[in-house]
This record gives sequence, structure tokens and C-alpha cells, in this order.
Amino acid sequence: MSSANTVILIEDDPQIRLFVKESLEREGWKVIDTETGQRGLIEAGSRKPDLLLVDLGLPDMDGVDVVRDFRNWSTVPILILSARSDEHEKIIALDAGADDYLTKPFGIGELLARVRAITRRRLNGVDNSPKFSFGDVEVDFSKHTVSRNGNAVHLTQIEYRLLGVLLSNTGKIMSHRRLMQEVWGPNHTESAHYLRIYMSHLRQKLEVDPTQPVYLLTETGIGYRFEP
Amino acid sequence: MSGNLKNQNKKRNYLIAVLICVLTAALASPLRYILDLANIVMLFLLVVFLIALKLGRGPAVMSAFLAVALFDFFFVPPQMSFAINDVQYLVTFAVMLGVSLATAHLTAMLGKQKEAALEREQHTHRLYDLARELAGIINQDQVSEALLRYLAGSERSVTVHLLDDNGKLQSISDNAPLNVLADMAIQQGRLMETNQISDNQQRTLVFPLISPNKVRGVIVITSIDALDDIDKVQLQAVANLVAIAIERLHYVNIAQKIQIEATSERLRSSVLSALSHDLRTPLTGLVGMIDALAVNTAPINISMHNAITAIRNQAQAMCNLVDKLLDMARLHAGKINLQKDWRLYEEVIGSAIKLLKPSLTEHPIKVTLSPSLPLVAFDDILLERVICNLIENAGKYSQKGQPIEIRGFVDGDVACIEVRDHGSGFSTDQTEELFQIFSRGHTESTIPGVGLGLAICRAIIDAHGGTIKAYNHPDGGACVTLCLPLGNPPKVDSEMENSQ
Repeated sequence: MSSANTVILIEDDPQIRLFVKESLEREGWKVIDTETGQRGLIEAGSRKPDLLLVDLGLPDMDGVDVVRDFRNWSTVPILILSARSDEHEKIIALDAGADDYLTKPFGIGELLARVRAITRRRLNGVDNSPKFSFGDVEVDFSKHTVSRNGNAVHLTQIEYRLLGVLLSNTGKIMSHRRLMQEVWGPNHTESAHYLRIYMSHLRQKLEVDPTQPVYLLTETGIGYRFEP
Repeated sequence: MSGNLKNQNKKRNYLIAVLICVLTAALASPLRYILDLANIVMLFLLVVFLIALKLGRGPAVMSAFLAVALFDFFFVPPQMSFAINDVQYLVTFAVMLGVSLATAHLTAMLGKQKEAALEREQHTHRLYDLARELAGIINQDQVSEALLRYLAGSERSVTVHLLDDNGKLQSISDNAPLNVLADMAIQQGRLMETNQISDNQQRTLVFPLISPNKVRGVIVITSIDALDDIDKVQLQAVANLVAIAIERLHYVNIAQKIQIEATSERLRSSVLSALSHDLRTPLTGLVGMIDALAVNTAPINISMHNAITAIRNQAQAMCNLVDKLLDMARLHAGKINLQKDWRLYEEVIGSAIKLLKPSLTEHPIKVTLSPSLPLVAFDDILLERVICNLIENAGKYSQKGQPIEIRGFVDGDVACIEVRDHGSGFSTDQTEELFQIFSRGHTESTIPGVGLGLAICRAIIDAHGGTIKAYNHPDGGACVTLCLPLGNPPKVDSEMENSQ
């Protein structure tokens, strides 16, 4: 990773700021840490960051507002830091444009894994290869084929579209609403249980143990995530 | 108006009528030589007409006869005698009497109608006042006050009895006949009244309060004077007005209650989230800094490494405890707001296992789900906590390497999840007690925990209308089964099979 990557950390607790800063610096990031949302947004405007880490509970403003404000003029990835019980807040933050979240308390390993996943997508740009593989599954978008261990797997149209949306957002949490919109279109009328049924079909066809999925993961109360 | 006063008035009216007739005869007698007898008859007819108009029917009928008598005595020859010379005067008398009586009747009728119209207008006016008053009231006591004001001046008394939430009438006396009457009025939705036994006895009328949605109670009216049908119709109108006012009050109360609940709910959740933030933040710092320590301090010796691992585990255990305490506080703080939707057990079991995977490496987990499991309505976040707690317990109370088995199946009208370990099982048969808060199977055990897990599970499953029970599996090992009602899952149209 080049040394020029900058992350802005907006977190009010000095201890958390300290260890997050140290851990990221060791990975070669340049960390600019701020205590308040206002200050963070000013820094974000002047420093051209590559990543934003935002705590949802800030002293001066709501973390969701920071996300919303920042998203108005930047597509840089945003990682949310939040407590476990704030599922509702997380969905609002994700719908406002955040890319992922970390639940407190989190270890350094978890933090670094999330940061890598979220920035890899951006730094590598969009993968233009029409082929995509995970586990023993291979997807060829140019030929519209899915195979497992070399055997063709039959997917229905919706299953194929759902898989496509998840794969093109690798590592990213997709809220139920977002997925429904992308798969069924903006005027979808289906309820969320359709999505659950199709996810279940996909798992049955592509996962080794559909009850303990490795790639097609559930983010309870929020949505789904594909992790290679 | 009291009956006594009415009687006196009546007597006076008759007296006046007699006087007028006599006066007319006296005034007309000097004219008897000038005027034709036919004109004198006209004069008497006019007087009877006027009496009917002013004094009513009774005096008018009396004056009709009196006029004929006076005419006969003073004017028809031979005068000063009731005898008559000419038989044709009999015809005059008959016509005079007939016309007088008809006039008296018609005029009196007119007067009565006018009176009735006036009374109706007054009543409408009072009803309008009552309606206006009822529209502005803000509690039930004011309903009675408004009714008393409405009935002021009449000899009737009124009480309002409302049905409470259990369908019982409030504040009604122990008077058994009245209770029966009230129940009948409510059931049949119409007026009930006591049979009148003697003339002076009070009679009781019970009007049901029928609002658009349901019967809200009764109005009991006791009265000394008899009530005619018109009175009853009017009182029923009053009862309907009161019913609507009470219905309005009912909904105002509900709205207020909801508002208060929402406010206290907001307060509660903001207190809990502040608490959760304040407890978790230092723990996050702790976990993070221990991690940093482990990574930074380049070569560390074994004992230091062990110490760091121990601190890390303790901090993590502390976090779990805080989570559980906050869960419990939230679940006990009031109505649980379930985010119920039609979901699959498969998903919530999968995500629970994924959450616990890092700490459960020593136990293989085996999941068996019946293919017939339908969509079940539940709150996924809460059910995930239940399953996490059950798997955690299974891991804690069994030896390393022993598998944890999770089964999902349909049993009659419930869908169940069973979590079973292969440990030594529950030490007690009183497994129901394990679901009590702060209750633990092994009181002096070295296994960490405070006995919140199963209590949380019970609270969550209860909120879903399901059941959860713990028992020892016949083949050994502890087993906890939770069951949720199946309900009517929505139909899912299968997609047109259209391969890629």
C-alpha cells in the first residue's frame, strides 16, 4: 500500500482514537484524528482522504449527518463505528451512504480486515473481468453461466440477478431495501420475504452447508453481504 | 309547572268565562229592542270564539252551553224564562250550540298545536345547547354535569353509568332490578323502563348509550311524572348525544395514553442507549489497546502472552455481560417492540453461528433443518440473541470436542428450534427455574455467567407468543427447545422457471 493513503478518524473517545490511529499507522496509513463531526468534515474537505471512519455517537452532531453531509460531495468509502444495539441507526447510516460498519467493541484484527476489504474495492477499481470465482463456484457474466466444481448450476433469472448484485458489491453490506431495488427495480412491490427465499435458494445451490454459509452472509436486521 | 298551580288556573279560567258570558248578556240586554235576535246570537258566538282562543277548550265548551242558556233566558220571548213561544227557536239553539262547540274545539286545537310547537322549539334549543356543551367537555364528570343542567327545572334525576374495560357497569348501585334493567338495555340496545305500580311511585328509565362502535353504558333517568312517547324519543336523542361525547372522550384518552407511552418509551431508550454507549466505549478502548499491546511488543515471553490473552478474554466477557444486562433492562423496561416479519430459521441460525464461530472453535456444530420449515414471523435480531445464548450455553456446559446439535422442525402448529449439547445435562429436574433471572444450574460452578441468558431467551420468546423449555435429552446432554406459532405465512409465487 502506498504511503499517501489518508484516513480521517472521527471519534470522541481518546482511547479508541489512540489505538485505531496506532494500528492504522502501522499499516502505512496517514491518520488524521478529530474529536467532533464539524472538525472531521472540515478536515475531510481539505485533506482529500481515501477513507472515513465515523463514530455514530458524536458529541456535536449525529454520525449519520456526517455521513450524509460527506456523501453529498464524495464517494470515498465510509466505515461506521457503532454499538451493537443500534441496528436501526446502522441501517440509516448505510442508506445514507456508509459502506460498512464495525460493532463496538472490536479488535484490531477485525478493524484492519474491514478497512482492507472496504478500500480494496476502491483501490483496485471495478474488476472488468467477466469471470468471478469463489470457493468451488465459478460465475461467467459474459456467458451468463454459473458452475460448481465444473458442473453447470441452474439459476433462475432473479437468483442470477441477485447473485450479480451481491458479487458486484463484494464485501459491502447491502441493506434489504437496496437489494430489492437493484434486483426488482425501483418500483418493486415484493415484500422482503421474497428476498429471503431467493437468498435461501442461492445458498442451497452455491454453499457447501447452506445453514452455515461462508460466502453469502446474513447481516441480521440489516441485509446481506457477499464475502469472497 | 306543578299540578296545583295548573288546577287553580283552570278554575280561574272557568270563572272568567262565566263572567264574560254574563257580562255579554248584561251589555246586550238593553239592545234587545234595537237588534234582531239573530245578531245577538252572533254576539254570543263571537264571545265563545274569543274564550276558546284565550282560555282553552273547557271554558269554551262551558260558555257554549251558558251562552245558549243566557240567550234563551234573557232574549228569547217570553223573556226572563226558559220557556219559548216559538218552537223554531229550538233550531236556533241547536245551531248556536253546534257552531259554538265546533268553534271551541277548532280554536282550542290550534292553541294546543301552537303550544306544542313552542315546546318543541324550546326542546330543540336545549338539545342544541347540550350538544354544544358536550362537544367541549374533557372528562366524564362533566357529562353528568351537562345532563343535570339540561334537565334542570324538570322533576327528573339522571345518572350516567359507563362500561369499563371488562364490560362491567361502573358505579351502579346494588339495586338488583336496576342492574337487570341496565344489562337488558345494553344487550338489546333499546330503552328499558320499570313497570309503573302506583301513581306516585318514581319510574325508572334506562337508555343505552349507543355510539357508532359499541354500547358504552347507560343513562338512568328517574321521574315522577309520566313520560309520553315524545319525551322518550327526546331523551333517546339526548342519550345518543351523550354516547357520541363519551366515544370522543374514549378516543381522546387513547390518544393521550399513546402519547405518554411514546414519550416514556423515548426517554427509556435514550437512557439505555446512553448507558450502553458509556459502558461500551471504555471496553472498546480496553480491547483495542490490549490488541495493540499484543501486536506492538515485539518478542514477548509466554507468561506475558498468557496475561495479555487473559485480559483480552476478560474484557470480552465483560462486554458480553454488559450486552446481556442491557438486553435484560430493555426487555424488562416495558413493551417489547418486535420487528416481526416473515423470515427463515435457516438465516438466523446461520448468522448466530457465524457470530459465535471465533469463540466456539472447539465444538463442531451440526445443523439439521427440516425441508418443510415454512416462513415464520419473528424479530430476527432478538431471535438471533436467543439462539446465540443457547449455543453459548451448550458450548460452556459441555467438554471440548463434543458437538452441538441444532435442529429445526415443524411440530403441529408450531415451528421449533432445538439446541442440544453432549455434556452432562442439567443437574436439576426443576428446569423451569433455570429461566428465572439470575438463576444458574450449577450454583458454585467455575463456568462464567450470572444466569441472565435463559431469562433473556424466555422474555424474547414470550413476547413472540412462543414457548421455550429445557430438559435432559434421553440420550444424554442438555437440550433447549423453543417453539414459535406458525401463523399464516404469505404465499410466495414461485418464479417462472426461465433458465439463464
